[in-house]
Amino acid sequence: MKNLKRLFAGALALGMVLTTSACGGGSDSSADGKVNLTFQIWDVGQKAGMEAMCDAYTEKNPNVNIEVQVAGWNEYWTKLEAAATGNKLPDIFWMHTNEIYKYADNGILEDVSDIVETDNFSDISLKNAQGSDGKLYGVPKDKDVICLAYNKELFDQAGVAYPDDTWTWDNLVTASQEIYDKTGKYGYMAYADDQLGYWNFVYQNGGYILNDDKTKAGFDQPATIEAMKFYIGLQDYEWCPNQDYFGEQAPGTAFLSGQGAMYFEGNWNLLPTLQNNPDLNGKLQIAVLPKAPNPVSGDGRATISNGLCYATGANNPNAEVVKDVLKFFGSEEGQRIQGESGAAIPAYEGLEDTWVSAFANYDIDVSPVLEMFDYGVQSVNNASRPEWKTKVSDELLKIYSKQVSIDDGLANMQKIIDEASAG
Amino acid sequence: MKIGKKSKSDMFWGYLMIFPTILGLIVLNIYPFIETIIMSLSSTKAFGAYEFSGIQNYVEMFSSQEFWKATWNSIWFCILTVPVGIFLALILAVLLNTKIKGRSIFRTIYFLPMVVAPAAVAMVWKWLFNAEFGIINSVLGTHIKWITDPKIVLITCAIVSIWSSLGYDAILLLSGIQNISKSYYEAASLDGASKVKQFFTITVPMVSPTLFVVLIMRLMASLKVYDLIYMMVDQANPALTDAQSLMYLFYRESFIAGNKGLGSAIAIWTVLLIGIVTVIQFIGQKKWVNYEV
Repeated sequence: MKNLKRLFAGALALGMVLTTSACGGGSDSSADGKVNLTFQIWDVGQKAGMEAMCDAYTEKNPNVNIEVQVAGWNEYWTKLEAAATGNKLPDIFWMHTNEIYKYADNGILEDVSDIVETDNFSDISLKNAQGSDGKLYGVPKDKDVICLAYNKELFDQAGVAYPDDTWTWDNLVTASQEIYDKTGKYGYMAYADDQLGYWNFVYQNGGYILNDDKTKAGFDQPATIEAMKFYIGLQDYEWCPNQDYFGEQAPGTAFLSGQGAMYFEGNWNLLPTLQNNPDLNGKLQIAVLPKAPNPVSGDGRATISNGLCYATGANNPNAEVVKDVLKFFGSEEGQRIQGESGAAIPAYEGLEDTWVSAFANYDIDVSPVLEMFDYGVQSVNNASRPEWKTKVSDELLKIYSKQVSIDDGLANMQKIIDEASAG
Repeated sequence: MKIGKKSKSDMFWGYLMIFPTILGLIVLNIYPFIETIIMSLSSTKAFGAYEFSGIQNYVEMFSSQEFWKATWNSIWFCILTVPVGIFLALILAVLLNTKIKGRSIFRTIYFLPMVVAPAAVAMVWKWLFNAEFGIINSVLGTHIKWITDPKIVLITCAIVSIWSSLGYDAILLLSGIQNISKSYYEAASLDGASKVKQFFTITVPMVSPTLFVVLIMRLMASLKVYDLIYMMVDQANPALTDAQSLMYLFYRESFIAGNKGLGSAIAIWTVLLIGIVTVIQFIGQKKWVNYEV
């Protein structure tokens, strides 16, 4: 049957992995003694920065040649998994906290503990590069936080004071109401998202998504439940669109078109947003996240802080050269080049200002981002996250669409995570 | 055709000629198919590792509410698209067969959606159907949540699906209609049969073999719908589980949740479902398909 072809496109792709080597390309040493390495990334916006970093290395080590390759985010993981299965990993590649456990725990990644100078990186950066066994499987690359992005023009029109570090959740609500009343535009846009949404509120309120040893979820904790109810309840206000609205356009899109005044944005998106939308220059401003007014524990401050790392496969034939390159990527010089290119905030402590300088041509103060690293919370993850991630987000959507009550929904989320984490 | 007296040499050349196709079929279709069956009976881990686990995946699949919902969604999608789509395609084919000015231009226009990438089609329709800013709601003066209302979302997808496949089906049917001898229509006209009567008594029976092929193809394609729904229905859409087809569920299980064993079981179930529907079609065709021209 001919139609099997399309039906099994997925299975087919897997089959092909076993028979061809179309994906990626390992290192090779050519006849003249030059070592050619491949370096796979997913963000085309950072390609120039990565190349500048590679150039700095190859200038000092003329016998090495590094080729930077880009694949889109979704394609990247399909490709990398196929490459890992077929033992054809690129020599160096970016690794994300979402996936690092899967790769590290299955022995795909090389332990690079010996080349990372741990004094130069924060605990969160290091944790983001660890496998379940606590060893470092990547050299910390960058770090990020979530910030409150707001439209200055809409605040001016409504005559509302700009968000600052005194803001609590209550200010978020009252300011949103005022903006809606005076301009007819939406206030803070709260929607079904974890990293850019409820995770922040839960940790601010002293709750947690996963407990410290990552074996159990925290959706049965009073602090978590309270924060979830507050966050999900925001859509009941007239100034916040409901989830149907966000099913059709992302809050970022609504913000760009001036439909809403505030949303949570990752700092990594600020520069590209300004570059792609020159008319936002001056309008787009950021502040630290509003804090929880009455946290069950803690001071009410938190923001989800994630970070990438550079990794290499176990058993790379040129391991020595690759490790030397990785060491350079993790050095002050390498991280400085990355920061100055505006690509991302270097994980290397003390180089945060290099990223700030990339905004010199724009009318925006990005310093609140740096303030927030003091109370950043590591992005939520455990080895079974891929298994529970979609199920939890489906459950959240059911709460939003009122198919289940919030209490039942949270109990279901707890069960989903606990069961996946136990197995 | 009798092959009894064919020489060995002819046989050899015959096999040689089909060898590339057979090889492609084995490598690209048959091998992955067998592999899928094996995987559906295994508990899979990341990076291609798996171990035999019997019917565990099937037990899990059949006891999952999500799965039955997805099965119904796929069937409901078929019910929405196939009858209407084929009826419209047939009407269109008849219209394109009449002598009108710029006929070939119309044929090209109707065929165009087939040439456009499904992803691009879905992107454009998604904005047309947007509840807040979409042109459809603003023209109709309504505020219908085309994409996010659980009851409507599959109908919306069905409309787009019919739109994209209409031209292709019509062209296939057109070729069938053009094979009908003019003399039937002339005779019918002389006897005073109306155009409508001619359509039902001459066109439909005479084009039925082509109609049957189109029907089979459309049913298979509808049961396997994936790309359209994937593009139209965002991950953050509250109507996601109400629009999730079997192949969408397969994708999410296999490639997002990383459970390729369960994903394979879903794929096998879909094959069975399509097989059953196709067998019913082949039995049913004896009653209405006319092979005597």
